[in-house]
Amino acid sequence: MSTDITHDEALEHGHDHEDHHDHKPSGFLDRWLFTTNHKDIGTLYLIFSLAMFFIGGAMAMVIRAELFMPGLQLVEPEFFNQMTTMHALIMVFGAVMPAWVGFANWMIPMMIGAPDMALPRMNNWSFWILPFAFTMLLSTLFMDSGGPAAGWTLYPPLSLQGGQSFAFVVFAVHMMGISSIMGSINVIATILNMRAPGMTLLRMPLFVWTWLITAFLLIAVMPVLAGAVTMLLTDHFFGTSFFNAAGGGDPVMFQHIFWFFGHPEVYIMILPAFGVVSEILPTFSRKPLFGYSAMVYATASIAFLSFIVWAHHMFTVGMPLTGELFFMYATMLIAVPTGVKVFNWVSTMWKGSMTFETPMLFAIGFVILFTIGGLSGLMLAIASVDLQYHDTYFVVAHFHYVLVPGAVFALMAGTYYWLPKWTGHMYSEKWGKIHFWLSAISVNILFFPQHYLGLAGMPRRIPDYSTQFADFNMISSIGGFIFGASQLIFLGVIIHCVYKSRQKATGRVWEGAKGLEWILTSPPPYHSFNTPPVIDATTVAHAEEIH
Amino acid sequence: MSQTDLKEQKRRAVLTAWVLAAVAFLIFIAFVLSGMLGS
Repeated sequence: MSTDITHDEALEHGHDHEDHHDHKPSGFLDRWLFTTNHKDIGTLYLIFSLAMFFIGGAMAMVIRAELFMPGLQLVEPEFFNQMTTMHALIMVFGAVMPAWVGFANWMIPMMIGAPDMALPRMNNWSFWILPFAFTMLLSTLFMDSGGPAAGWTLYPPLSLQGGQSFAFVVFAVHMMGISSIMGSINVIATILNMRAPGMTLLRMPLFVWTWLITAFLLIAVMPVLAGAVTMLLTDHFFGTSFFNAAGGGDPVMFQHIFWFFGHPEVYIMILPAFGVVSEILPTFSRKPLFGYSAMVYATASIAFLSFIVWAHHMFTVGMPLTGELFFMYATMLIAVPTGVKVFNWVSTMWKGSMTFETPMLFAIGFVILFTIGGLSGLMLAIASVDLQYHDTYFVVAHFHYVLVPGAVFALMAGTYYWLPKWTGHMYSEKWGKIHFWLSAISVNILFFPQHYLGLAGMPRRIPDYSTQFADFNMISSIGGFIFGASQLIFLGVIIHCVYKSRQKATGRVWEGAKGLEWILTSPPPYHSFNTPPVIDATTVAHAEEIH
Repeated sequence: MSQTDLKEQKRRAVLTAWVLAAVAFLIFIAFVLSGMLGS
């Protein structure tokens, strides 16, 4: 927390006289169900994703409890499979992706000096589709044929052997896809058309850049997933044979189509995380971001490469050697732009006047632990040794390092960073730090032993295992329970900040913060930047371009 | 920003949205067609 820096002129442009009256709808339904305000829709997305985070987390607790000891302990194997599948679907589509859309809604208009998203009514629709999609998905758990149990990848023929509830899963995936596509159309239309005069593309904050690139990825690959699940639907219910070998179809083709979506999907979840970390590290290092342009180009390079590496997920299907070599080398290439990013983050901190508030702790935790996930990804990229690792707990350890201390830590970092801006109150720094240290320690107890389990040969998606894996599984489960419990602190800190905190946040909030969102009051007016702000060296995050 | 500017901004935003929606729809159709040809 820091001094209150007031930019009178900027503030005057940030919200005009009209904003002092705010014009918030007075009724509950008008305010939340029919809202077209980017801040309210952002809040809805964030609350929804937090709820999904705890539902998906509860499923993870069931998984870790069952795996606490060898032998079948608590749940039937069929239900265990439903838990692994639903945990992944909910965390990917219900928690991480909507959370990033929530951040985009809140921050992008304020960061580029726009009054709102370009298409506010479509924005409302993008959000309100989601609760129906996830109600439908979760309802399958209570149906006779149960929830999906073939893994989130929905590989045929296994996924086609489920019951009637599969139609609900497919429809839910379609609705999530439509929501994501509409959300990303809105992000692109906003960034390309609504920037304040003077906010050129290469002056935009890194978070806006990473979201622009993410939105293009979403538009390119969500229709591919929609195509894949539509073909599964017709194979299951209408007698087609897209993926049915008995009818002349090819189940391996599904894997190609799915992973053409699935690999860019990984970057959809992680690129906005790169953006958030690129905002936080300069603020708490009190230095400009090192290599801004290189960061933009590295993000674009990662996005491009994400389209030509999909078959590294399926090295064991028996593809030609040249294919294996191509996908192996293309995958390894991703380490180059990712290395540029990690180098630039470290260089940003180098010789900076660093302080370690909670957002900074989570951002540094991200840089270190995400890099571990990246390095195990390089190991998996080696086609010859992937034959050993494939479908083992090594893969589970790898992608959880990328997604939990990677994407989820960045979400937490961003929440702590902007929560005072959103609410107008400071959160409890003490409890934020307790949350960080408990999470950072327990997440390693949870996932690091899984590397050893995988190398020793423990397959993924099994409810029971050989006794040789018992010790590492018990350690992993203990880490999981501590990590799960720690997240209740996160919930408590947010509720306290919103309803109880008496410490008012200043407009700037953080002494080293730069960017248009910080020239607004905390909380910002309901309608901000009705008059475009003045873009100068004091108001943009990347000012070296302005002389 | 004048009313004319705002209208032009809105027109461009809507145009961008339609172009992107058309691209998404074409990708969907292309992949289902590829499935038909591939099976």
